Amino acid sequence: MSELRPGVDAMRPARAGATRTADSRPPDGFPGASRYRGYLGFGFGGFFLVTVSLLVLRAVWALGNGEAAWDRVQQSFQNPIYVLFHALAFLWLTWFTLRLFRLFPKTQPKRIGPLERPPDALLVAGLSGVFVVVTLVVAAILWGAF
Amino acid sequence: MAELPKKTIVVTRFDPDKDEAPRQQRYEIPVEPDWKVLDALNYIKDNVDPTLSHRWSCRMAVCGSCGMNVDGDAKLTCKDALSDYGDVVEVAPLANFPVIRDLVVEIEAFMEKFQKVKPFILRAKELAVEAGPTHQSPAELDDYRQFSMCINCMLCYAACPVVSNEPDFLGPAAIALGHRYNLDTRDEGQRERHAVFRDDGGIFSCSFANECSRVCPKHVDPAGAIQQAKLQNVIDWVTRLLPGGGGER
Repeated sequence: MSELRPGVDAMRPARAGATRTADSRPPDGFPGASRYRGYLGFGFGGFFLVTVSLLVLRAVWALGNGEAAWDRVQQSFQNPIYVLFHALAFLWLTWFTLRLFRLFPKTQPKRIGPLERPPDALLVAGLSGVFVVVTLVVAAILWGAF
Repeated sequence: MAELPKKTIVVTRFDPDKDEAPRQQRYEIPVEPDWKVLDALNYIKDNVDPTLSHRWSCRMAVCGSCGMNVDGDAKLTCKDALSDYGDVVEVAPLANFPVIRDLVVEIEAFMEKFQKVKPFILRAKELAVEAGPTHQSPAELDDYRQFSMCINCMLCYAACPVVSNEPDFLGPAAIALGHRYNLDTRDEGQRERHAVFRDDGGIFSCSFANECSRVCPKHVDPAGAIQQAKLQNVIDWVTRLLPGGGGER
């Protein structure tokens, strides 16, 4: 009988266990490169969401503790720090919303039902227009125009 | 014959038997004007340093083997012209992947993520051969055609900051491929894939850096696939809450 046999161990690693590898590294330029700005801006928005949520909880707590507590909260919101914070939060929210609208066409399939998807520019313009109109109407209501 | 201009190729080297960590090695070589980055690496391997290790196969942007980081960006080196770079070109292994040797990365985890999304036609019941072929119109094919152009080069994984921060993230190519089958009219496995997509490390881990689509050499737009999958997933989830929900294929 021949001594030759199939090389069944031909693919076995030379050493037992996993191959030693060098650690992976993050993409070059992360997070400083300008192309990551949107991604980081989106992530940073968590700060505004958490902080505004806490402020809302504080206001709700005040509502349940009488008119004086509510007035104190309203008074405290006139502090320049709060005003600056809310201005920054509004700017971030505006950027976030417009970014969301810009990305919206990507969420749509090539066909919506039997129809071709409208042009991306039309979708973005439509959503942005609705956003501007709703924002103006809400601002007018809060201003006491109606 | 005029002497060829020279370029310095700075290659990241790593020998698991000798090196503690990757290091850089410089090679000054003559370059032809029409060379791709891969040609320079092959020249080094053939004429300067046969110990250099790198993956490549088809040389025509089809096999997806030769993805590397070139001057800090994920590129398919057989498609990337050397003339687009300066006199010094840095070539490194793909980011986000462990390195086995020099420019060769470990792709085991990548393959596992692929398997998770079940990248094949799923049918509730196998069709009998006698039933004849399954028809699909050109418009139906066009719905997913773009996402089937992926060559698994892994550039999107190397460019994605979410992959860096969340190692469990399924990643752009796997999700795009799963979404491609969800859009296929012959497939009946949407619910199964939606469950995988919804899980930890699924589509909702993506916060849209769009890097995957930017670096894709085949213009697949994986970021678009993920956003579409998110919307489909939410619709599927809401549909299931409705009375009699579950009619989706």
